[in-house]
Amino acid sequence: MDGQRRAWGWAAALRDGATTPWMDWPADSSGEGAPLSTSLPGAQQLALLRRLNEVAQAAGRTVPLATADRVLAAGVSGRGRGELALVGAAEAGRFGAPPVDPAALSDDELLRVAAGLIADDVAAHDGDPEPDRSLLERARQLRRPWVASFLVLGVQWRAEPARAGLVAHGHRPGGRRPTAYLLADDLGTVLAHAWAARAFDQGGPTWSDFVRNSASFGHLPPRADLPRMARSAAHKYGAGRVVVVLDPSVLATLLGVRSLQGPPQLGAHAIDLVRRVGEPLGLLVDAARRPELLRSTLAARLDGHGGPLPSVPPRWQSWLSSQAERTHHELAAAGYPVLGDLDLLLAGSLPSEPVVPVDAEVLDLALGLLLDPIDPPKETTA
Amino acid sequence: MSKRVLLHVGTPKTGTSYLQDVLFQNRALLLKQGLSYPADRFDGHFLAALDLMRLRWGGLEREAVGAWDKLAKEVRDHDGTSIVSHEILATASRRQVERALASLGHEPDGSGTEIHLIVSVRDLVRQIPAEWQENVKHRATFRYARFLELIRDPERSHRVGSWFWGVQEIPDILARWGATLPPERIHIVTVPAPGGPRDLLWQRFSSAFGLDGLELELTTERANVSLGVPESALVRRINRAAARDLPPVHYRPLVRELLAHQTLSRRTDSPRLSLPPDQYPWVAELTESWIAELTERGYDVVGDLADLRGVAPSEDTWADPDKPSEAQVSQAALEAIRALLLESGAREAEADRLRAKLEEARRELIRARTPRLMRSMEWTVGRLENSSQGRRALGAYRRVRGRNSLSA
Repeated sequence: MDGQRRAWGWAAALRDGATTPWMDWPADSSGEGAPLSTSLPGAQQLALLRRLNEVAQAAGRTVPLATADRVLAAGVSGRGRGELALVGAAEAGRFGAPPVDPAALSDDELLRVAAGLIADDVAAHDGDPEPDRSLLERARQLRRPWVASFLVLGVQWRAEPARAGLVAHGHRPGGRRPTAYLLADDLGTVLAHAWAARAFDQGGPTWSDFVRNSASFGHLPPRADLPRMARSAAHKYGAGRVVVVLDPSVLATLLGVRSLQGPPQLGAHAIDLVRRVGEPLGLLVDAARRPELLRSTLAARLDGHGGPLPSVPPRWQSWLSSQAERTHHELAAAGYPVLGDLDLLLAGSLPSEPVVPVDAEVLDLALGLLLDPIDPPKETTA
Repeated sequence: MSKRVLLHVGTPKTGTSYLQDVLFQNRALLLKQGLSYPADRFDGHFLAALDLMRLRWGGLEREAVGAWDKLAKEVRDHDGTSIVSHEILATASRRQVERALASLGHEPDGSGTEIHLIVSVRDLVRQIPAEWQENVKHRATFRYARFLELIRDPERSHRVGSWFWGVQEIPDILARWGATLPPERIHIVTVPAPGGPRDLLWQRFSSAFGLDGLELELTTERANVSLGVPESALVRRINRAAARDLPPVHYRPLVRELLAHQTLSRRTDSPRLSLPPDQYPWVAELTESWIAELTERGYDVVGDLADLRGVAPSEDTWADPDKPSEAQVSQAALEAIRALLLESGAREAEADRLRAKLEEARRELIRARTPRLMRSMEWTVGRLENSSQGRRALGAYRRVRGRNSLSA
């Protein structure tokens, strides 16, 4: 029988919600179908749609046709192999990458397709108008003249939401001769926050590469280097005006708010998905807009998902401990006032099993975002 | 709508940089002849290719947002022949090719814009070492032997292998890009074998692009330069030692431009990088299969497909960049240090000049912010201090005003 027609038959069935693997697809005429477009989708797209159908089926749902069509028409993001031919469907070509069984493709290959599709969804929000703030919200944001001048510093991932929360309650950072509060944490958490910030800003390396690179440099990455941030603040505002914060509740009381707003609770797998989406997104929107777009769309959707924050693999734990000791020593030696216990900087007990992003978990999150996109695509007719 | 598009999609290391530079420098002259090379910067088509293929490229992709659509629109808007050229287009997937051709006005049934696909090709005997060297100039740290292993992986699952064959496997590139084009509109330009006339490649390009008879300015140079064995080994070691500390924005001007292109490439007496002789048999066998396939497909060939056979490497002259002569590497390293010291000195001098200028600007700013009354007082004091009568008058004024204001 014609391998191409059999492949089109499988593609049509997947479009209608089938979950049959390619290798089990009927080899007789009952499995054949007419072409749906000018060229057969790649094995990566077909495998991704089959996985999406499985997820939908498990939830008692079906994948909307418009979504299925988007997946089948998608490209493959980034470097690597282009659309791969199905084994048994393509003529045994002597050139090009060899045909594959879609079930044998790695999750990473499927994520290259999924990340591109999610990036398209995120990019569609570029240019959205700022949401209107109510009169009450605007009144709350007015700076209270009696609030002492202050600044909130630290890893951007942590400091930015804290600042935004304070602004929303009329505690706008700034003013004359401010006190600079440096938000600190145990160094493992600081490092994970630095990686999250980088994932939102640039995409950047995987968690493992990020830790390995940092360790091989022999120093902390700038985003996680608390003594450096403290020195910079001391240079600008005076050493006596830099306060290290290890107990945010004390700072909240000092500033007269109930609590400091924390960052979105994104786990290792969720941050890794953002990192992957950020790469194709970089070709779709202005670089300056990318972090905010990712925060307002993906961070909001992935809040509370993706497991715990990543932890430093055992191989690098001694490096982490020595960096934590160094950070502790430098901040203590500089004599900055501390809110809380400076010993919290030292890496606490690490989980017995290191937490690192796992492609299968990242793909699960991506499939969720394809099934329930940030903006559902308009329905098309079959 | 553009009537005809000459679409040059590769391959790398076939004189493409030189061609693109000539096209860019002569674009006004070409336009007078009805030929459009739509670019407002020399790397405009590179950015468009990054955008089309959604490829990251050391941060350059930030400047590529929307670049393909802009290029395609300029092509569609030109009433005549347009040229699009970049070698990384060779690696575009079928979907990306479909999008690219459609955006240029091509219809799969043959209607629409007349697309001519041009692919310039060179023998694998030279392309394989050149690609490894290109990787090394882009921060790679793997050895030559590892590179050879990666490109021989039949699955092409590693990015190095998939990229290499994506831009070098000529029959596959032409199958992807030429699936909906008649063979007579697909043109292969072969790079002459080593030792051929210097301008033969340009003559072939000129013929393929219809540039014969045009008075083009050909003196420009933007050719990719090559490194010898010890120089390649040195850059790889530099990558291992420092590339992680250098962001792309610093790596590009310091390592690739200053060290590799401007300094180390001038050392032409060192052993040249070549294909290991023990790799030649599989390369030769593969090449024969390509020549047979390309001949059978009936494409237009500018040059000779026999050029793809290359010259078998010699055991006598083969030098292994994984085990280079340490004396030669040291010599290259000294020249690299010299270049970096000179560059550092020049930058220091420039920083001093800028600091002086900044100080001058700061003084100007203070002067501009000083109230007019104060400035006129300073002016009056300055004038009085220039004459004996004035100095006496000033002294009398200061005595009357009292000690506290002597500084005035």
